[in-house]
This record gives sequence, structure tokens and C-alpha cells, in this order.
Amino acid sequence: MVQDVESELQEIGRSIHAAFPTRPRHPLRALDVKAMEMAAQDQELRAALFRFVDVTPACTSLADLARHLSAYLDEVDEHPPPVAAAMRMSHSKAGRAALGAAAAAGVRRMAHRFIVGETPSAALRSIRHLWEHGAAVSLDLLGEATVTQPEADRYAERCLDALETLAAAAPAWSERQVLEHDSLGSVPRVNVSVKVSALSPLLRPEAPEVGRDDAARRMRPLLLRAKELGAHLHIDMESVDTLEATMQLVFDLLDEPQLRDGPSSGIVLQAYLRESPEQLEQVLAWARSTEREPPLVVRLVKGAYWDHEVVEARQHGWTPPVFEQKAESDRNFEQLTRRLLEGWPHVRPAIASHNLRSVAHAVAANRATGRGDADLELQVLRGLGDDLAAALADQGMRVRIYCPVGDMVAGMAYLVRRLLENTANESFLSDLQRGVAVDELLAAP
Amino acid sequence: MSFRNEPILELRRATEREALLAALRELDARLPLTVPVLIGGERGAAAGLQSTDPGAPERLVAEAGQAGAAEAAAAVETAQRGFADWGSRPAAQRAEALRGAAARLRERRLELAALQVRECAKPWPEADADVCEAIDFLEYYALEALELERGRDLIQVPGERNRMRYAPRGVVAVIAPWNFPLAIPCGMTAAALAAGNAAVLKPAEQAPASAGALVDALHEGGVPREAVSLLPGYGEAGAALVSDPHVHVIAFTGSGAVGLEIVRAAAETPEGQGHVKRVVSEMGGKNCVIVDADADLDEAVPGIVQSAFAYAGQKCSAAARVLVHEAVADTLVERLAGATEVLRVGQAEEFATEVPPVIEREAQERVLGYGEIAEREGRVAGRAAPVPESGWFCPPAIAVGLPERSAVNREEIFGPLLSVTSVRGIEEACDVVDALPFALTGGLFSRNPATVERVAERLPVGNLYVNRGITGAMVGRQPFGGNRRSGIGAKAGGPDYLLQFVEPRVVTENTMRQGIPVE
Repeated sequence: MVQDVESELQEIGRSIHAAFPTRPRHPLRALDVKAMEMAAQDQELRAALFRFVDVTPACTSLADLARHLSAYLDEVDEHPPPVAAAMRMSHSKAGRAALGAAAAAGVRRMAHRFIVGETPSAALRSIRHLWEHGAAVSLDLLGEATVTQPEADRYAERCLDALETLAAAAPAWSERQVLEHDSLGSVPRVNVSVKVSALSPLLRPEAPEVGRDDAARRMRPLLLRAKELGAHLHIDMESVDTLEATMQLVFDLLDEPQLRDGPSSGIVLQAYLRESPEQLEQVLAWARSTEREPPLVVRLVKGAYWDHEVVEARQHGWTPPVFEQKAESDRNFEQLTRRLLEGWPHVRPAIASHNLRSVAHAVAANRATGRGDADLELQVLRGLGDDLAAALADQGMRVRIYCPVGDMVAGMAYLVRRLLENTANESFLSDLQRGVAVDELLAAP
Repeated sequence: MSFRNEPILELRRATEREALLAALRELDARLPLTVPVLIGGERGAAAGLQSTDPGAPERLVAEAGQAGAAEAAAAVETAQRGFADWGSRPAAQRAEALRGAAARLRERRLELAALQVRECAKPWPEADADVCEAIDFLEYYALEALELERGRDLIQVPGERNRMRYAPRGVVAVIAPWNFPLAIPCGMTAAALAAGNAAVLKPAEQAPASAGALVDALHEGGVPREAVSLLPGYGEAGAALVSDPHVHVIAFTGSGAVGLEIVRAAAETPEGQGHVKRVVSEMGGKNCVIVDADADLDEAVPGIVQSAFAYAGQKCSAAARVLVHEAVADTLVERLAGATEVLRVGQAEEFATEVPPVIEREAQERVLGYGEIAEREGRVAGRAAPVPESGWFCPPAIAVGLPERSAVNREEIFGPLLSVTSVRGIEEACDVVDALPFALTGGLFSRNPATVERVAERLPVGNLYVNRGITGAMVGRQPFGGNRRSGIGAKAGGPDYLLQFVEPRVVTENTMRQGIPVE
């Protein structure tokens, strides 16, 4: 059986790989290639670049930007020629303005790759374009940290606005059978992802119930409105500090009588967590026992807070809650995929990965259950998985692109994380960029 | 062997939280504890002093003895005998006993955290961290004692041999505060013992039970009874220790007023005292956090709130003032006020509590008094919701627009009141800090490395924290202590600390015999 999946997997992987756009639209190509290439090779330059991107929205003028840039570059030991040139520019007033302008434009370009628009309505054109080209989206609202109640209220309002805006626009989109139906029924066109930590300033790891209850009172109206609009509302997962609150919030809220018949909703499982198999069992147990009608969508991801989790654990003397070897995460991802597929029809699996092997494995394992591709959703991130999304759409699969929306200030933390991922040596994307052979990309972890 | 900080509990796990609550239930069933005066092997009376729960003052936590001048004299005399034995033991033996004490604290860590919740209204994360810090001090100073015994290398020339070693001083009087009821008395006592001295511990009258647990652990770990005695009581015992001619070192942590009084009293050299006393004194602070225009406010707001209001601001390292660049002042004040309004004020035993009561009625009155000054001289921009009625609660508050000379801006409040001042830039912020008599901790939120360098150069503070909260110094990682009127003494939990408890001795030997070097 496992052997069958493996040979099917290899075949599927090859056909997806062959379907990649011939001229890759990979961000590294379009970005400030020099800066990114240098950053990927040089630890210090990488640090300088991240610190610069991070501070950009807080800079008040072009000269201020240039001052920060040159201060970061100052800490780099050896200056490659372009960096040395930047340093020289920062010595004069006119040079600072020019350097600041060039750098700001560079960061804006990068941001645009990953962030689909400043507001949901500004993003509509791109979203429709994706839909017409065979990819659905889930809209994610980037925001600053929520530390006050008014900030939580504003985030909830933005989520509501996203639901309304998409719901008003979606009827005009073309009929796309693959994107809107599986064998269990219809799949909502409108799909919004929300973060629990943004819905309450009260999330505390040692008292999960306080933040959970506070977030629930803002999440409830969002779910009710999503039900009225026929939209899907997905609850994202963040760091382990908010995991218990988030899982409990999803289980409790979705079990409320007024939400039994809708909306479609979902949770996220992070495969890099050592305890993710147990967490999946909890999710499956809930999904089997609930009287809720729409099946829970479970988005399986690798997890985006790896550095945070490892650093926090190391500082406190804890065992990191995440696998520290990439191969362990990758193997776990495949095991969780198979287990998740067994949960159907109580759950709808959504496999979110940019790793060709993981994606091909999910497709093969799903086919091995005897179900069609329509019963599997694949998800990617805007800016990182665009080529993969195009290839998957080409192969007739249902693919959904996670599209962040927000302004520069709000988007910076997200952007830095994506850039980090993009320049990490171990990532599938940099493998792809370096032209690693398909055999290697599909090798078992 | 290398030092590693004791891991704090992973309180985001429900199982760990439940274990602590179970420990609290067990402790509650045993209250009140008894803490006798303990001199050598002699257990004195446990009456005269009571500690109560600051969140429920009717709950008696401990009945303790009340040591006075007579007990202090007896304890010092016993300590002199204890010193004769303990001080002559090799460092390895002393280190083993301290590690034994650390092991004992480790075994009892849940119970000891629960005790702090009750006796000092310390919320769980802080109480657990306090127990861990106590363990860290024991382990760290044990290793430092081994290092110290190796002495120092000196320049050697032909025909002579130069050696430098460190000898313990004698009897150390440890006078401890209540706000880190286990860690601070443990740190000072462990350092004294590690270096080979005998110690007499006089804990704060608000927290005798934690000190009692410490002395028990030291004895059980293998420190001879005569080498460490416990004097629960009020100021009388402390004053008697300070003026006792047989005390060599006074290690004190507490208020500036008492600290300076100790420095004065210790300078006396009455007839019959064959030494000059050494004073290690860690006093208060008026700690400022500077927020530059390029700061990441998403990090600054939680960092400041945590630094100002955790444990109700009752840490010497706590943030008392924020000096913020005018370009971001309005935004910062709005967000700080909002973040303060959502703080949970409540009983320390509840995991949701972020701001517990202050230690006693006098503290509550003092803090509320400064709150009134803030209302009169400026404006309160944000304050947490109403607080429980019984217990010594003070709502955490953010004050703005206070004149520089306001008492709220100048004096140590030691409670949950934070003053925010707008400044034109980093230099002005540094000027404000520089004009304060204190120099304990400081903070800076800026993303410009040049600014970080500039501020690090200008601020006189003992511990500067950049882009993070300003409390929670870790043994071995952030050696802790203040400058100016915040303290005299080397940093606790750092490589220089034990040197205050020893005297250096140099031996120079002529190695020439008959004109020939025989080395």
C-alpha cells in the first residue's frame, strides 16, 4: 500500500513539476535580485536586510531610511561593491535621499509580491484575476499586534468588511466547478482567515480561557455573518502560546447551537509541532462527535513560527515544541496527511505546502482512498507558491492562495517572516531556484 | 562543569498549572506555618511576628519568632564558631553543600512557589521564576567558589614565587527584602557561604516563611547549623547585626533610606572591632524606558506594561518612567493606556491575574497617594478596571503631563504607577535619566544601532535592556545591580560578586638558596 502511494506520488510529482510555468514567476527573479542573492549567501547581510525591512514603516523620511540602512550595513564586516556604494551615498544629504528612495522602492516591491493589496476592495481585482486563472483565495488581514480593546474591535471590523466586500464581488466571478464543489457539496467562494490573537488583547499563555472568551465575543458575530453570506471563515493558528486558547475557541464556538448549520469553518494543524499527532486526534474526535453540519476544514501546514518557538524554548530551558530537523517535520507532515484523509467526511483536508513532495504525497494518498481530487484542497502562500498554484490549477486540482491584505506597517512582520523563509537554505523554494533535480525534490524525507 | 539556568515552568501547559494549584491546596491545609528563630541547632520561639496574605489580610500565612538585639548577638557568636569550621573547608565541600541546598529547593519548588503566592501575593509566573533564581544563585556561586579558590595568576620573575588567594572574611549579616522572598536572601546568603563565611539571615518581616524554607534547605543540603542562622523579626535585629563588632560584611537589599543608614552605621569602628566592615547595598531605582521614533511599538507596549506592572511594580528593576520621542508619543500613550486598562487586577493565585495586590496597607496608601499627585499635577491617561475590595490592591495607571520635578517623576514609588514624558529626542531623554539620583535599570526601544550605541554610552544605569522589558535579570546572563544611589556593590549573579565576601592575600616567597633559584 505504502509502496503504491510512493510510485503514484513520484508520477504525480513529476507531472506537477512539468506543469510549472516555463518562465518562473518566482519572487527571487523579480525582486531586487542582487540584494536577495547576497542576503541568501551572507548571514550578516541577511540580518541587515531584515532589520532594514523591519524598520521601514517606522522611518519618517528618506534620509531617516538611509541613516538606518547605513547603520545596519555598518555592522557588516565585508562590504560587497553594491553595499560599499550604498555606504558612500549615505555620506551626503542628496545621497541619503536617493538611497532612501531606492531602498524604500525596493521594500515596496518586495511587499507587493507578498501582500495582495492595502484593503480588501483594493485586492478585489487581483483576487478575481486569480479566480479566473483557476485559483481560489483565502484573505488574511495583516495587522499590528492587538494590545488594546479598540484595536481588537478594529480588527474585527476589518474582518467583517473583508467578508462583505468579497461576498458582494464573488457572484460576478465565472463558474468554476473545480473551485466550488467537492463530493460533499459546495465549497464557498468567499474565504477569510482570521487570527485569534488579533481579536483580543487578553491572550495569555498561562490563562488561555480569558483570551479565548474575549476573542469569542468578537468571533461569534463574524461567524454568524459568514453563515448569512455563505462564506467560509478559517481560524488561523499562531505560536504555541495561543494554541490551547485557539483550539478550545474553535471547538466551543462551533458547537454553539446557532452555528450548527453553518458557516463552513476551519482550523489549522502545524506539522512541525511534536504534539501535532495528538492534536489531530483531538480535532478528529471533535469533528466526529459534533452535531455540526458543515465538515470542519483542517488546513495542514508545516508551521511559520519555528524560530520563535525554538528561541523561546532555548531562552527558558525548555525542550522546543517543534521538530528541529526539517526531515522530521516533513515525515510527520506525510503521516498527518494520511491520518487527516482518514477523517473524511467529518473533516475536509486542506494541504498547505510549497514542498513538491508533500503536495504530491497528499494527492497520491487521497487518490489511494478511492476519492477524487475534488475532495482534496491544496493551499499555497501568495508570493511564494504562485508557480506551484499555477501548476496545480493546470493539473485540475483545487488550489487556494492565502492572500494577506494590509498596509506596509501592518504587513512588515509578515513580510520579514516570508523573506526569512525565502532565503533559508533548507527551503524547497531555494532548491527550486537553484535548479535542484526533480528526483531530489521528490525524495522521501 | 558549566552553569545552566534552572528552567522555569512551562505554564502554557495545563498540567503544570494544575500541579501548582494542587501544591497551593496542600500548603493551605498546613497554614499557618511556624518559623522559629533559629540559632545554630537551637530553635527559639515562633511567636511575636505574623505574616499574612496581602490579597486576603485575614489569612495568616506564618507565625514567626521575633528576634531582637539579644538574639542577634547570640546568632553572631554562634556564627563565629560556625565560621571556624565552615571557613576552613575546601571550596569543593562548600560547593557540594550549596548544590545540596539547590537540590532541596528543586524538590520543593511547587510548594515554595505556592508559599510566595500566599505570603507575598506573587503571581505564579513570578513566584516560579523566583524559586528558579534562588536555585540559580546556589549553583552559580558554588561554581564561582571553585573558581575563586584557584586564586589569580601574578607576574613571576626568577627567584621569587608570587601567589594570590582569597580568604573568607568571617561573619556576614544578610538583611533581605520581601519582594524576592526566596531569591534575594538566597543570593546574598549563598554568596557569603560559598566564599567560606558564616551567615546570619534577617529576612523582611513580611516574608519570614520563605526565608525559613531557605535556611532549612541550606541545613539539609549540608551547611552546618552554626554556619547559618535565621533571625525573623523587625528592624531591631537588623540594626543590632549592623552594629555588632563581630560582623565583617553586611549584605543588604532594600530601600535607599535603610541602605544609607547601614552604610553610616557600618562605618563605626568601636573599641574591640579589629576590622572595617564591608557593606554590599542594593537600593532602589527610578527606572526609565526610552522609546525612540523608530521603535517597534508592537514590542514596546507589551514590554513596558510588563516591566511596569508585573508584580504590581514591586521590583527594584521595574519601569517607573517612559521617555518617548514626541513623534510617537500620542500613539504610544494611547496604546499604553489601552493596554493598562485591560490588565487583570486580582488574587495572585489566579493564573489570569497580571497585577496582584501590593504587599501591605502602608504600601497601598503610599501608591494611592502618588496617584493623587499624578491627578493633581498631570493627567491619568489610563487605569485598570476596579480592583477587589479586600486586600491591598492598587489599580495600575499611566500618568502623563507631569512636570519634571513632580514627586511622581523623582521618587521611587514601588507600585503600579507609570509616568510617561514626551521628549524632543534621545539626547533629551538621556539628560532626564542623567539628572536622576538613581541608576539601576534602564530600557531603550530603537531600531537604529547608532542610537543603541549612543544611549549605552550615555546612561549610567547598571543594567540597560534594549528592545525588551527591563526586569527579569537571569543569573549568569544579566549580572544585576545598580550604580549611583541605587547601589554599592558588584553585580549579583555575576563573576565579580563573590569578591565582596573575601579578602585577597598575597604571598611572595624568595626561592633562592645559596644564590641558586630552587624552583
